[in-house]
Amino acid sequence: MRLPLLFAAACAATLAGCSSGPPRAPVAHVAGADSTHLVVGPVGSRGDARVTPASPAELARLVRAGGAPVTLVNVWATWCNPCREEMPALLAVARRHADVRLMLVSADFSDHQADAAAMLTGLGVSGATYIKSGSDQEFIDTLNSGWTGSLPATFVYDANGRQVAFWEGRADAPKFEAAIQQALHTQP
Amino acid sequence: MTQLSRIARGLLFTAALTLGVFAVAHAEGGGALALGSPAPMATAVLHNIDGKDVTLAGVAGKKGTLVFFICNHCPYVKAWQSRIAEVGKAAAAKGIGVIAINANDPAAYPEDSFDQMVKRAKDVGYTFAYAVDPTSDVARAFGASHTPEAFLFDAKGKLVYHGAIDDNGQDAKAVKSHWVQDAVVAVASGRPVATAETKALGCGIKFREAAQAN
Repeated sequence: MRLPLLFAAACAATLAGCSSGPPRAPVAHVAGADSTHLVVGPVGSRGDARVTPASPAELARLVRAGGAPVTLVNVWATWCNPCREEMPALLAVARRHADVRLMLVSADFSDHQADAAAMLTGLGVSGATYIKSGSDQEFIDTLNSGWTGSLPATFVYDANGRQVAFWEGRADAPKFEAAIQQALHTQP
Repeated sequence: MTQLSRIARGLLFTAALTLGVFAVAHAEGGGALALGSPAPMATAVLHNIDGKDVTLAGVAGKKGTLVFFICNHCPYVKAWQSRIAEVGKAAAAKGIGVIAINANDPAAYPEDSFDQMVKRAKDVGYTFAYAVDPTSDVARAFGASHTPEAFLFDAKGKLVYHGAIDDNGQDAKAVKSHWVQDAVVAVASGRPVATAETKALGCGIKFREAAQAN
């Protein structure tokens, strides 16, 4: 089983979180296994999400610097119903795939940065997530010039940082899963 | 404005509709209406907040027609709504017909109900039609995907601008490019629009299911 192994590995890396103290999210999934990456805890757990402003150029750099076989970039917002509706499925898929790096990018206005962090924390997310800063148009075109700007939107990259799929609108677990498999199978 | 000129503009839009079948098909295939296209579904009946039915052909102005897809609930629309009211009023003063369309299913967002539209228009000061797209089909035909989204047609009924209101939804004081405003000025003057296609983040339109259409 992948999850127990990952859990053990994560505990070794973050002893304080596993040995004692409040029920901070036990780490069930680590992509990249360092503090700059997002961590998804078990269903019902509470996390500790950080939401950091990122410009389009920074996001592009982060995607390229991934190193994971598959990177999923999901653009969401706290007020967006379909974003909130698809988030549990997205997090469930991320839990199942240790080889998938999930980047959550909030499209909220900057004065809702704390709300975004609180919402993700409540879903068991810990670690690095982002909030869009700078020009909408540059942000959109950086991710995909075919994106209308409608939320939510998901962008799938292979190990080389090459975008292999993108869509806008709410997705379910099978759709996320299929996109991951497609990205894995397009590896060189 | 004479009754004759209203009828003439309506006929122009209807003729444009006939010629625009290809463009509409393209829009429904997943993309937005292409520049140069006429307004689709120009004779479709929309329910205005004053209780009367309106059509795109009916609101067409002598110098052009400005169509906003908006709603009430969306934070982006809320951020831009004063600017939408302002630019819409200015466009109308220049002879451009203006209409804002709400294509959202209010079952998904109660804040987008007809009664709330009436209230919002009064609160914000919309001086133009704010109408319900009762099947969401007009939005589909335009290829509109989110709110707010603007489409500006020139005096000949051809799409000359599509996209965002301006380049900063969050902070009106930080706007550097007033895209719709600039396009309105160009169209009213009979000049080409310098920046014809732009983008901004927005709330996805919650289209009504076809089975629920009325």
